[in-house]
Order: sequence, then C-alpha cells, then structure tokens
Amino acid sequence: MGSQSVRAVLVVLVPALAWGCGNSANPPVSSISIPDVPDLSLQGVAFARLSEGQVVARGTAARLDYRRGGGRLVASGATAVVQPTPGSSLAALGTLRFVAQDAKGEVPNRRGSASGGVRFDAARGDTAVTERVEYDGDVLRGNAPVAAHGPGYRVNGNGLFARVDGSAIQLTSGVEGQLQMEGPR
Amino acid sequence: MIGLTLLVAAAALPAGPLDFKARDMRIEPQEHRVVLQGDVQLSRGDLKVTGQHAVAEYGKDQPATAQKPRGRGQSTLPEKAVLGGQTVQRFTVRGNVHVQRGSRTADGEQGVVDVPGQTLVLTGTPEAPPVVRDGSELLSGERILLRLDSEDVDVIRPKLVLKRSLAEDGQTKPTPVRVEADHLLLLQVKRLARFTDDVVVRRGDAVVRSPRMEARYDPDGQLTRLELRGGVDVRQGERRATGETADYDAQARTLVLLGDPKLYDQGDVLSGDRIDLGLDSKEVRVERARGRLRPEVHKGERGAP
Repeated sequence: MGSQSVRAVLVVLVPALAWGCGNSANPPVSSISIPDVPDLSLQGVAFARLSEGQVVARGTAARLDYRRGGGRLVASGATAVVQPTPGSSLAALGTLRFVAQDAKGEVPNRRGSASGGVRFDAARGDTAVTERVEYDGDVLRGNAPVAAHGPGYRVNGNGLFARVDGSAIQLTSGVEGQLQMEGPR
Repeated sequence: MIGLTLLVAAAALPAGPLDFKARDMRIEPQEHRVVLQGDVQLSRGDLKVTGQHAVAEYGKDQPATAQKPRGRGQSTLPEKAVLGGQTVQRFTVRGNVHVQRGSRTADGEQGVVDVPGQTLVLTGTPEAPPVVRDGSELLSGERILLRLDSEDVDVIRPKLVLKRSLAEDGQTKPTPVRVEADHLLLLQVKRLARFTDDVVVRRGDAVVRSPRMEARYDPDGQLTRLELRGGVDVRQGERRATGETADYDAQARTLVLLGDPKLYDQGDVLSGDRIDLGLDSKEVRVERARGRLRPEVHKGERGAP
C-alpha cells in the first residue's frame, strides 16, 4: 500500500478531463452524445481521506470513473484501508482493509455497492469474503453468502449487516461454523 | 437415572473447535465475545447443546495476536495458533436449553459451560426447574451441574425418583422411591449418589429423614443400598422409628436401624441393639428388645380380645 501511495501517479486522461470540465459548465445537447460517458476517468488512482490532519482512510483503484451528475463513482480493482478511531467499536479490530473488484457509489447520497470478491481484513486477524455488499448511510448490507474467520471463530453465513462505526457486525440468514474452545485446566 | 449415569463413561471435553449453527451471529470484538441468535445449535464430540440464544466469551487474559490480513484462499479454520491464541472460555445458552450427551439429556432455561472448568450448569425457573433424564429416569433440582470430564453430577435441592431401586416381581406395582435433599453429588467411579442436608426419602407411606444419605449401585445401575447417617427418623403410618444410622436393602426392601434404635408405635416404645423394618410387610424385628408396651391402647384394634 505504501509503495502504491509513493507511485500514486494519477494518470489523468487529459482529453477526458477537458471534456468533463466543459460539460459541467454547459452540458451539450446532441443527438450523438453518449450520456453515460464519465466526466472523468482516472487510472492508477490513489486517494487519502484526512480528518483533523490525520489520514483516516486511504486507498487505490486500478480505474475510477466519475460522473458529476449525481456524483457517481465507478471503480475497478479498488482497495481501501481505514484506520478506526481509537476507542471506537472498530478499534479492537485494528486497521481495516477492503478490497473489491468493482465498486459503485453516489457520493452525495452516501450510497454505493461493491461486488466481485469483496474482502474485508482486519489487523486482528478477522477476514470476511462475499460477492456483493451495499452501502447506505452508515450501514453495510449483503444478501450473498459470506465466509468469515478470525481469532477463535470461523463462520459461513448467508447475509451481512454491519454499521460502519462497528457497533454492529452481524452475519445473518443462517450461520454455521466453528468456535475455538479453551482446553481443560 | 443414576444407574445409567454411572454406566456411561465420558471423556473430558477437549480443546478444539466447537461446531455451531444459528440464525444470526454477532461479532463483538470489543467485548471479546460472539453472540449467536435464533435456533442455536452447539456440538462438540458427543455433547450437543441447543437453545434460542448463546454468548461465547473469549478469554481476556490472552491478548489478540495482531496478524497481517491473509490472502485469498486461506479461509479454512487453522489450528489454535493461527487463530491468534484466542479461545472460548465460557458459553451461556438461554431459552429452552437442551443438552444431550450419550444417553443422557438435560433441559433448563439457562446453561453455562465453563470450558476450562469442564462444567455445565443448568438452571431453570421455580415453575420449570432444570431436569436431567436418562431413559425414563428423571432428576430435577434447583441447579444441576454436569461435569464434562466425567459423569459426575452435582445438584442443588435435588428431587429424584429412584425407579430402578425396585426389584420388580411382575406382580406388585412398583413403588417409586422419591428423594429430596439440599444437595446431591453423583460420583461415577464410586457408583454412589451422595445426598446431604435435609434428606427426605419417601416410599409409599414411609418417610425417612436424615442429614445425609448415600445411595449405592451395582455395575448394572441397580440400586443396592441406601445408607443414612447422622440420625435417622422413620415414619410409616402411626409408627415411628429412630436410630443413629439406617441401611435400606433394596433387594430385601428392609430398613435396618442401628445406634440406639427405638420404635414408637401407638404408645409402645421398644429399643434394642437393632431394629429391622419391612417396608412392604410392615413387619418389625427388634434384637435384644427392651421397652414399654401399653396393651390397653390397642384393645380396640382388630384382632384384640
């Protein structure tokens, strides 16, 4: 991740950018316009989110398309690393890493989805893998099978529900797995 | 129940994975616990526990080992070391808890498994106390502690029916022996059940009270003997007998009182070296009898002149 940040060269496609900027001021109305063409396409993207001078999240994407209408983002080969706030419910898990083959989102609506081998890893040793999750406000949901394991447990479920602050992390709709037990004294 | 209990040997519940099923699972890393909800099933070896809700608590004295996130394809449950050294120390299962191990089953409202201590404590409500069953035999009490590394059982305020104490002859309807006490300890190796504090044994119209009693069983699980110690009081109809000790022979169905035994029967008082009471025949034998008889009290009885 660090090396990715170092070589975080934003390969901005200049023509696309120029096209996008032009459109934002005065969207053309043309019979040959292609409405779904992104306003901005980036390859080899790295990003960071700062809060009070601290990096609280950072990530990369192999490709990122941005459409200003609705603030829509479409990313492929996306990775994000989040540093939980100390003292929060998530802090016990340590640094979190998310990987997805495809991700879509509407930034203003705080809504999105990730699909294609979605994977969560925590520094504590927790891992969860599923095919698709949706993000809405402060909640992550999924209706696809989930396989997770971590310190002392392994579980397969048929759904996922989590609050992004970590106050709830649930596998739902039928779970099955193993819990590691202490030995006798 | 005790008989069967004593026959079935159990191995300790070893360290290792416990299989589970439930509707939902909530992971609470900050509290070091996992919560299972809805039709919970837990199983390890021959132990199966079901209930509506379960909390698995991890040891807090073993800090989690920070691990690098692993790559894809490594999601199978590895051995303890790979799990970060975190293991479940305690389970609490609530709501229609049902336990099965071998031929024994138990039911209660709440079950707590202390994994390092190798115990399972079942509790219930006053209306529905916890029970242990083995075949048709039944044991209930206020609190039942099942040892997971043996077949020993520890019961607070037990209520027990010793059906297997009956030597059935095919003619006589079985007379159950009911036992109540403050505490019961079933010891597998010694093939005995140790009742202590306010022991009350009821068989037909006979009621025997004593501070402590041991029930002994043969290898087939049949009751052979009840040994009451610390002062015994027997009442059967109008008759009362006391002694320092009493032994009940399950085969002969007789109770032998020793230690300054006395018999009180409608004004008659007999003492001797030993008093034998036939609980079915109601026959009494007093060895080296001495005492006071009051024939005038019995003159109106059937058979009196």
